[in-house]
Amino acid sequence: MSSERHTQGSVAKQPSYLRSLAAIVWKDLAAELRSREVFSAMLVFALLVILIFNFALELNARERASVTAGVLWATFTFAGTLGLNRSMAIEKDRGCLDGLLLAPVDRSAIYFGKAIGNLIFMLIVEIVVLPIYSVLYNVNLFVPGLLLVILLGSIGYVAVGTLLASMAVQARTRDILLPILLFPVVIPVVVAAVKASDAFLQGLPLDQISVWLNLLIAYDVIFIAIAYMVFDFVVEE
Amino acid sequence: MERKPRLLTVLDVLSIVLLAVATWMALFWAPMEALMGNVQRVFYFHVAAGWVGMMGFLLAVIAGIAYLRTGAGKWDIVGLSGVEIGLVFAFINIVTGSIWARPIWNTWWTWDPRLVTATIMFLVYVAYLMLREGIDDPNRRARFGAIYAIVGFVSVPLTFLSIRIFRTIHPTLVGSGDPAALGAFDMTPNMRMVFFFSLFVFTVIGIDLLWHRIRLGWLKDQVEQRKFQLMS
Amino acid sequence: MFFLQQGPAETTDYMILGLAVIFVTMLLHVISLRVRRRNLEKDIELLEELEGK
Repeated sequence: MSSERHTQGSVAKQPSYLRSLAAIVWKDLAAELRSREVFSAMLVFALLVILIFNFALELNARERASVTAGVLWATFTFAGTLGLNRSMAIEKDRGCLDGLLLAPVDRSAIYFGKAIGNLIFMLIVEIVVLPIYSVLYNVNLFVPGLLLVILLGSIGYVAVGTLLASMAVQARTRDILLPILLFPVVIPVVVAAVKASDAFLQGLPLDQISVWLNLLIAYDVIFIAIAYMVFDFVVEE
Repeated sequence: MERKPRLLTVLDVLSIVLLAVATWMALFWAPMEALMGNVQRVFYFHVAAGWVGMMGFLLAVIAGIAYLRTGAGKWDIVGLSGVEIGLVFAFINIVTGSIWARPIWNTWWTWDPRLVTATIMFLVYVAYLMLREGIDDPNRRARFGAIYAIVGFVSVPLTFLSIRIFRTIHPTLVGSGDPAALGAFDMTPNMRMVFFFSLFVFTVIGIDLLWHRIRLGWLKDQVEQRKFQLMS
Repeated sequence: MFFLQQGPAETTDYMILGLAVIFVTMLLHVISLRVRRRNLEKDIELLEELEGK
């Protein structure tokens, strides 16, 4: 898949698609490992949201079990916008996007690269939040089904979120615009993820949960496809 | 598009006349519903408005795809007009839905899947306008608008599905157990006639308003261009 | 679930409210279209003056 051509006097390297993809993902991860600004912001925000829910809802132990799925996904939804915003803003502010566009790389690799990077950030935050929530509320969250739902839900969220964030960041109203654009469109993910998470936590049989999982998978596939088809138009100049 | 086309004037008159006829039919010609009484008469226009709203948004999607493929500014005008008309009729749809629900379920809001989905769709296209508001470059504004119109529209059936499945499992929320039953009733043949006629009338009105809005958009575009030329 | 009474419920007030919302909304939209058009036509007059110079 990779071809290296040497023309007279210059070296023209055509990186493979996967290589470019990996490079973009790694660029974000490496930068983040050094500064940790996106990750720490998301994590602190998530914990604060959980704290607020604790006082806002003020439930006893039994009632709390019934809202766990909802509180978790509300937290992830809000914290997620932070990550998406920052991730795209960094791109724009540091002028990285222009650099990426000049590179001989298929546009969609930029989308997938950013999306995978965003997904990794989101999953890391979610993985850190889970044990903290478990400890604070004395509820076991390490149910394999729950982890699957978190993965599927985050994929859908990030697939649409990356696309919309790449547009929102180019508007004057960039910070408040992303949630306004994202939330109405991501509702199927939230509904399905909350219901499926709740069902797994309650230990319901799989045949009752499968409809929600199918909905999540369908959403993921549809919106990854749309984002792929449409991303060129976001970055064209 | 300087002088107002004769056909548009005809359409204006037709819209007003048809609306008057439809109103008379809904109020006097259609029979009274056995349980709900007169408020049911709003239903004919409630559904018609919902239909026109949806068509407006669908037009925005088609125009959006056309714009992305051709880059021709006229498609952007059509798309924006479609959204505006869609929002007006979607608003009518949602508010009349709420008004209809009030005497029947004794609440201004029921979490009926269709009402909720209609409201979410409304919010999506309000977000569309806010996205456009925030972008100064007309070309980018048009492109992003087109993309969001498409993304938004595709999400709506999924939203409806998710809420509907949710309601099937949780019928204890306000309303009947059947998620499709917001004020369900059987339509007599006369009612059916008024229903379809209202659908037709509102479609005509929608097209009329759309045409006016497109002309307005076109005029605005020309003014912008001339302003730009003057200043350069 | 519904009231027990002879004949249909008295809901005419709600019908009037519903119809009012429909007509007023459409009217406001038409007015908005008119106003915006008038503003643009004024702009054109101004532009023509400036261009004519």
